[in-house]
Amino acid sequence: MCRHCLEVSRRSLLIGSGAAAASLATGVAEARVLPRDMVPLVGPGYRPTERDEMGLWKEMDRVEEEIAGSNLLIADDKITGYLRDLIGTVGGPAAKDFRIYLARIPEFNAMMFPTGFAVVFSGLLLRMRNEAQLAGVIAHESGHFLRRHMIRSWRDERRKTDILSFAAMAAGVGGAGVGVYLGDYVQLAQLGTILSLFQYSRAMEAEADSMGAKLIAETGYPPVEMANIWEQLIGEENASARYRGKHRRRGSIFDTHPSEGSRMVDLRTDAAEITVPGKAYDNHRARYLATIAPIRPMLLDDQVKLNDPGASQYLIETLAQDGWDGLLRFYEGEIWRLRNRPGDDVRADQSYAASVAYPDAPADAWRWHGISLMKAGRTGEAKAALARYLKMKPDAPDAAWVRQTVG
Amino acid sequence: MGPADGGMRGDRVSRTRFVAVLAAAGVLTACSSAGGDDYGLSDYSLVRVQRVQVGDGSMTVAPVRPWNRHHAVMFEDIRDVEDWTLNGPLLDGMSFVTGLRNGKSLIRQRRTTSQQVPIFRSNMTPPEIAAMLESLYRVRGGAVDFRTLSIQPRPFLGTTGFQFDYEHLDGDELWRRGRAVGAVVNGELYLVLLDAAKLHYYEMTLPDFEAVVTSAQLKAIRS
Repeated sequence: MCRHCLEVSRRSLLIGSGAAAASLATGVAEARVLPRDMVPLVGPGYRPTERDEMGLWKEMDRVEEEIAGSNLLIADDKITGYLRDLIGTVGGPAAKDFRIYLARIPEFNAMMFPTGFAVVFSGLLLRMRNEAQLAGVIAHESGHFLRRHMIRSWRDERRKTDILSFAAMAAGVGGAGVGVYLGDYVQLAQLGTILSLFQYSRAMEAEADSMGAKLIAETGYPPVEMANIWEQLIGEENASARYRGKHRRRGSIFDTHPSEGSRMVDLRTDAAEITVPGKAYDNHRARYLATIAPIRPMLLDDQVKLNDPGASQYLIETLAQDGWDGLLRFYEGEIWRLRNRPGDDVRADQSYAASVAYPDAPADAWRWHGISLMKAGRTGEAKAALARYLKMKPDAPDAAWVRQTVG
Repeated sequence: MGPADGGMRGDRVSRTRFVAVLAAAGVLTACSSAGGDDYGLSDYSLVRVQRVQVGDGSMTVAPVRPWNRHHAVMFEDIRDVEDWTLNGPLLDGMSFVTGLRNGKSLIRQRRTTSQQVPIFRSNMTPPEIAAMLESLYRVRGGAVDFRTLSIQPRPFLGTTGFQFDYEHLDGDELWRRGRAVGAVVNGELYLVLLDAAKLHYYEMTLPDFEAVVTSAQLKAIRS
């Protein structure tokens, strides 16, 4: 988050470590937030009654209006309807009040705004392996709303300083001429700064985790998926950083979250605690994959073309744990092609060749397979592959170039 | 999860114009936060209606009306790139890549940056060069949607070159459209690129671009 939050989080981390050290000395672990204690603090149709919260809602309504009108949103009725159904299922008492928007931004992120609307980034859909995981993130976000974390932290923050006011906030968020452009990183940074007023303490994140686990378990999803999400996420960040020869960057969204180790332990403990023996849980992987299938190539494209080989490779290999297919093999090849180090052309072509052996190989796999063969001097095979590409995609934008090249 | 994170993307650039990306790359080396003032280290100079050298001086072009040269200073790796604009870099811009060598990238970037603009290789085919440009827009421009409209052969600098047409939706919610005409000469990339707001500005500057492309000549083949 913003620099300011970072400092706060470091401080809380220090305090946290101090507390942990103290507990270790006495042999008592830091108290875990128990799912059974997570009682929603708002009911259906909640409206604020206190003046400060009413003012906050008014500003946030303007933010929502801007976001709802953004052309960065993915307006696919099937998928947005699916997300709406999902938050309507795992959203607890406020389920029917939530609004949810899907933004085309290739990052792992989702956020809940104080008035009960959530924004999910498309990069999140790419990373979830099943519906239970997506439900877990949405339930976690719902948890922030149900536990009134935004207004609680806002009030808490305001007690510390009088500098921040609604006026300043409004100027930053909804002021004339200052659009909240979702996806524009500078604008988002401003929004992030404003939202950092609602930064969540580690305790609040722990609450949202527990609440999320409880909500998905109640609706029949295996609660252990909550722990799996964070494991995948941290794995990806580490892979990306390691690849570029650095440590995972501080200042990421996870810094205000409970420390990785304790969070994993807590989430797994939560899962064990609330799993009812004998009860049937379903992660609804098939339904999830079928729903996102039409946009999955786009999601992969958006990620891989960022040329972040460490993250993309980790991601594709994680998704492939559920089975390789032509699409995943193709994008594996794209990672190497864009990385373009010595030998990567051979690696890329191996992936393209593997991809086209699958019945679901995308047309572009044939295209790049053909180009690779051509560069390797295997003209006959190249022509056959490119012909196959044009047959699958007769109106391909590069058809003129391909035709001239294959002669 | 939490609110969107500005700091996390400190190495990203907010503006999406190629010109601005180049200018910002210099700014960002000195400032790690994503600032809005992308043009702090740049200035403008007039491009007259006459044959002028562009980039590293190896290519000349003849504009049909005056443009503004946008000086990007402080670069080492990208001295081969030059940028012009007519109405300001957010609305339109023409860029020249001259003699980009094997193993170089279009912009300067830190080795540790997670998301990198792909490097150029001498044996790249037009689709690969197009993909390299696409990643530039996505990685450094924050384009969230990028569509290839066409890749076709086109003579350029007296050799077999290519024309790449595309459009992209950027983080500021504006659709922009671009055309790049280029060729690899002696293993080095030469390219002229137009990128402008899809509404009005692209059509308005396209004739200028076409005239520049047609007039482009290499001064001397570098060894």
